[in-house]
Amino acid sequence: MPGQGRAMENMHLSHLGREVRVAWAITTKDTRTYYTRPPSIMFGILFPFSLFLSFSIGRNMPIATQIPVLVAQTLFFASSSIGPVVIPSERANQTFDRFLTSPVSLLAILMGKTFAGIIYGIGISIIPILVGIVFFGSQIANVGALVACMTLSTLAFSAMGIMFASIPGQTPGQVMMPLNFVRIPLLFISGVYTPVSELPLWGQVLSMASPLTHTIELARYALGGETFFGPAVNVVVLTIYAALFLFMGIRFHIMNQRKE
Amino acid sequence: MQEDHAIMASNLTKKYGDLVAVDHIDFEVKKGEIFGFLGPNGAGKTTTIRMLTGVSIPTEGTATIMGYDIQRQTIEAKEQMGIVPDISNVYTELSAWDNLIFTGQLYDVPKKFRDGRAEELLKMFGLYERRKEKVGDYSRGMKRRVCIAMALMNRSSVLFLDEPTSGLDVQSVLIIRDLIRKLNQQGLTIFLTTHNIEEASQMCDRIAIINHGRIAAIDTPEKLKRMIESLQSVEVAFESTPQNALKVLGELPQVSEVVKQGDKFRLFTNDPPSTLAATWNYAQSNGLKLITVNTVGPSLEDVFVKMTGIRPATADEETDRT
Repeated sequence: MPGQGRAMENMHLSHLGREVRVAWAITTKDTRTYYTRPPSIMFGILFPFSLFLSFSIGRNMPIATQIPVLVAQTLFFASSSIGPVVIPSERANQTFDRFLTSPVSLLAILMGKTFAGIIYGIGISIIPILVGIVFFGSQIANVGALVACMTLSTLAFSAMGIMFASIPGQTPGQVMMPLNFVRIPLLFISGVYTPVSELPLWGQVLSMASPLTHTIELARYALGGETFFGPAVNVVVLTIYAALFLFMGIRFHIMNQRKE
Repeated sequence: MQEDHAIMASNLTKKYGDLVAVDHIDFEVKKGEIFGFLGPNGAGKTTTIRMLTGVSIPTEGTATIMGYDIQRQTIEAKEQMGIVPDISNVYTELSAWDNLIFTGQLYDVPKKFRDGRAEELLKMFGLYERRKEKVGDYSRGMKRRVCIAMALMNRSSVLFLDEPTSGLDVQSVLIIRDLIRKLNQQGLTIFLTTHNIEEASQMCDRIAIINHGRIAAIDTPEKLKRMIESLQSVEVAFESTPQNALKVLGELPQVSEVVKQGDKFRLFTNDPPSTLAATWNYAQSNGLKLITVNTVGPSLEDVFVKMTGIRPATADEETDRT
């Protein structure tokens, strides 16, 4: 019956609206509460900037060509750091239980947390873009590629942080340590310091599998550089990783709830 | 009748590997009731509350809140409840006002009702004047009040309170107990876990005693006491207590057990008059002056001790220790 169908549709829309509102409330609360926490600043801002400086100072390369690397690193580290800071802290003072007892799905809760990482990552990575444009003559050659790079990368890396935050620790350090075991090796296979085109074949294959490769490629492409795999591949791979990390994050958090 | 029940737990079980934390328990809580869940530490109280509130998934069994299955109708069930866990899980970086508003947002309370409800609760809990201060600067008792206020933001039908007064000063305890009574009088069903027997006895309409994950007894406090009516006792205090009093009193006829409680001795017996006479004789023959003599019926503590097997040291154990 058309009337019944409309009623069902309205119910689904109302449910969806509620999930979005609650997710957004979690995001805004997390931004207010956790963005200025020392671990967020340390792992999300100081870490990528100091890594960048330690590898780029003394290299005979124009700064403008290195700006995409810094953008990619800040996107990577900043967005993947928020979940591992927020969730263990909330577990320690049992505020995470507030979400589990509220009338909202686990997906909405984790999306709220993921958005907090996305906003943090985008906010921090805008700084090197502006610095590049104002001081080093960088130009945005493809706005679409830059938007895709920033949104897809922050979504994938923020979801990655949330997935790692399912490790049942009660301090950010307990999650950051295993996360850094993954994040730091990724820097060496993702064409950060050596372009993918200069890697041996096995290196290129490995590089293809790293989500960070596609962030760097898209950032280079957006700022007037070249991409080895092509922007379409970069977008597809980042989308797949975003979906995979979100799915696995939810599965791991459900497994945690069973063990609770 | 199922409609009369605010909470129903059926065959509820939680296992952690080989450890059975909650072992196939069944109980119902009637609407409008204060239901006490009494047990020693580690008995399974918090695990039960975590399963009932959806934090933890049961290994077996089901639970309903106001008729909604917590596993299958999770959202509807969670809309019915407010939860105050054993530690005050408030956002210490936020003000009391922001804590309440955020809770309202989590429950999707519309903005026009949210502000009014937050103001009403902060006034009810005596926190309105300090609503803009960070909760991190509050005393423990104030944080507890914020936590309870947060649990009421969604106008819940059932309030879960896990050790609500544990670790608080006397004034805060009295304030919180008074608030709980008032909320119950307004029609709220209250599920209260505690290891404080006195609190359970004073507050609860019915009590379940849980031990080693199993329910040992469920009834009203008075009926529970009547279950062990045979456990009568004589309470005596001497002006000055001889060293061996505990041992000698324990050897008096008809005395099954002696427990020292402060400066008093409690002599458990099935024949209080004979025990009184024997105690009098003991005092006379040793030149002791009796300053207190009472006959005492079983307390809820006695029921708890009997049901859980947890008890104070007996005369022999006390002697062994000294």
